[in-house]
Amino acid sequence: MISSVQLLPLFFLLLSTPAWALDLAELVRSVETQYSGESSYSRVRMEIRTEHWQRSLEMEGWSLGRDYFLTRILAPDKDRGVSTLKAQQDVWNYLPKVDRVMKIPASMMGGSWMGSHITNDDLVKGSRVDLDYELRLLEESKKHYLIECLPRPEAVVVWGKVLYRIKKPDLLPESISYFDEEMTEVRRILFDDVQPVGARMIPMRLTVLPLEKPQEQTIMRYEKIDYGAELTRDFFSLRTLQKRP
Amino acid sequence: MLASLALRNLGRNRRRTLLTLCATVVSCSLLILALGIFSGMLADILDSTTGQYHGHLVVSSPQYPERRSLYDSFEEDLKTQEALLRHPGITGLSPRLRAFGLLSFTRAALPVELLGIRPQREASVTRLGQQLVRGSRLDSAGGAQPEVLIGEGLASRLGATVGDELAFMTQAADGSIGNDLLRIRGIFSTGDRNRDNQLALVPLDWLRELLVLPDALHELALRVDDPMEAPAIRQRLEGQLADADTSLAILDWGQLLPTMREAIANFDVSRMILIIILYSATGLGILNTFFMSVIERTREIGILLAMGMTPARVRRMILLEALFLGLISLVLGTLIGIALTAWMHQVGIDLSDWITPVTYAGGTIAPRLHATFETANILMPALILLGVCLLAGYFPARRASKLQPALAIREDA
Repeated sequence: MISSVQLLPLFFLLLSTPAWALDLAELVRSVETQYSGESSYSRVRMEIRTEHWQRSLEMEGWSLGRDYFLTRILAPDKDRGVSTLKAQQDVWNYLPKVDRVMKIPASMMGGSWMGSHITNDDLVKGSRVDLDYELRLLEESKKHYLIECLPRPEAVVVWGKVLYRIKKPDLLPESISYFDEEMTEVRRILFDDVQPVGARMIPMRLTVLPLEKPQEQTIMRYEKIDYGAELTRDFFSLRTLQKRP
Repeated sequence: MLASLALRNLGRNRRRTLLTLCATVVSCSLLILALGIFSGMLADILDSTTGQYHGHLVVSSPQYPERRSLYDSFEEDLKTQEALLRHPGITGLSPRLRAFGLLSFTRAALPVELLGIRPQREASVTRLGQQLVRGSRLDSAGGAQPEVLIGEGLASRLGATVGDELAFMTQAADGSIGNDLLRIRGIFSTGDRNRDNQLALVPLDWLRELLVLPDALHELALRVDDPMEAPAIRQRLEGQLADADTSLAILDWGQLLPTMREAIANFDVSRMILIIILYSATGLGILNTFFMSVIERTREIGILLAMGMTPARVRRMILLEALFLGLISLVLGTLIGIALTAWMHQVGIDLSDWITPVTYAGGTIAPRLHATFETANILMPALILLGVCLLAGYFPARRASKLQPALAIREDA
C-alpha cells in the first residue's frame, strides 16, 4: 500500500515549475548561506553608522548549516562577551555583565540586532527566503540575473518582495533589495570586495542601507572565514552561549 | 392679593399638591445626585490616567510625544523647573527619563517601558509607585544596588516577586548595549492593565547612567490645581517657554488624551439629555395636576371672571401657583440633592466586589460610586425645574383665562 508520506515527493514534483526554478532556489540558497557553508568559523568587523552615533564592533562567529549560529563580541571592551545564539527559529542573547541569558520575545524580533541595521528576524528568516518565497527569474541580461521573490500565501514573512541581483559568470550576489507591503524599497544590501576563500569566491564586504535613513548604514567586513570548522549541534547550546571569551 | 390667592389654592387640595411636590422634589434631587456621580466617574477616569501616569501638563521636546525617541531629550535645567513651579496653579513637577527595552527574570524576556523618576518629585504629580500591593516604595537615596518597582501584571508574567533580581537590556544613546541588574523593591497596581503589564519605575540617575545620557530628561510632568484649567495654564506657559528660548513644547492632558477630552466635553451633552428625559416625565405630571385643578375649579374661575377679574389676572394667578410649586420644589429638591451628593462624596459606594475596573477613553473607571460637586450639576437641574413648572402651568392657565364666564358657571363640577 502506498502511504501519503510516500506520495509526498511525487506531489511536490507535480507542483514544481520548470526545471530552472530549482536552479533559482539553489542560487538564492547559495547567497544566503555563502558565509556559513556547511559549518564555519568567521571573524567580522561590523561598522554601524546612525544619525546619533557611530561604532565599530569586532565579532567572532560559528555556524552550522542554516539553522544554527553563534556570535560573540570581542571589542569594544564595554560590550565584550555579549553573545547571540540562533537555534532554529529562536534568538538568545547573553549579557556577561549581568551573567544572564535573554530569549528575544516574538514581539521584539523586528528589533535591531546589536544596534545594527540587521534585525533579529533577519537572523532567523533571512536564511529561509527560498522556502518562504515564490521565486521567479524577472530579468536576464548579459551580466545579471534578477530574481524576484514574492511571499508564499501561507508563509509568515517580513517583506512584501525581495529582489536578488546576481552577477553572471561567477554567480555571486551583487545586491539584495527588500520591499515592504506597499512595494517600496526600504532596504538594500550590497556585496563587494570579492576574494578567494578556500575553493570559493566570497564577497568579503556587505553593506546594509536602510533607505528611509540615507545617512545610516551598517557594514560587515569579513576578516576571516574558515569553512573547515568541525562543529556539532551540541556546540550551539545555551551553555556555549554563556562561555566568556 | 393674587399671590396669596395662588398660595391658598395650592393649600386647598393638599394631597394633590404634596404628591406633585414629591414628584418634582424627588426628580430634582435624584437628578442632582446622578449628575454628581456622573461627574465623579469622569473625574475618576481623568485622574486614573493623569494622576497615575501622565500628569496634567507635560513639557518635552516637540517631537518626543509622537516619536518617543531616546534622542529627543533635553538637558535638565533647575531654573526652568523652579520658574514652572512658581507659576500660579501648578502644584507639582516631576522630571522623567524613559527607556524601552527587555526585562527578564529567568529566561523569558518581556518588552517594557522603564520610567526613570525621582520618587519624591514624582509623588508631587502622580501616585505612580505608591499604590503598592507588595514591597515598599522606591528610596530616593538609592541603595548600593539599583531597585525597581514593577506592575502587577508584569510581575506575574515574569514570575518574579519582591527581592528577585531582574536583568534589563536596551540600546544606550551611544549605541552600546546597556544592561544591568535591578532588584524588585515593590509591585504596584494602577488598575490599568496595559500599564501594570509593561511599566517599571527606576531611579532617574541609574537610568541616565545606563543610557549614557548624563543630565538628560525626556519630559517634565506637571500637576495643576484644577484639571479643567490645564489648557489655560498651558497657553500661558507656552509664552513663557518661548521667551526663555528653550525649544521645548508643552501639552495638556486634553492633547495627550484626545478621547478623554472628548468624553469629558460630551458630558455637557449627556447632562442635557439626562435632564430632558427626566423632566419631560416630571413636566407631564405637573401639567396633568394643573389641568385637573383648573377643570375642577371651572365654576369657581367662571365666578371670578363674572365678578370682573380680567382673564390676564386669572392666567397670572394660575401661573403663580405653578411658580410657587416650582420654587418649593427647587428649594427642597436642591437641598436634598446637595445632601445626597455630599453623602455620596464622603462615603460613596464600593462596587469592587461586583465589578472590576473598566478601561474607557484611555482611563480607568474605578469600581465605586463616588460623587463630585460641580456648580452646573446643581444649577441646571434647579433652574430648568422652575422653567418646566412654569411651562406646565402655562397651558392650563391659558385655558382658564379663555373660559366663558356664563358657560363656566353653569357647568357643574
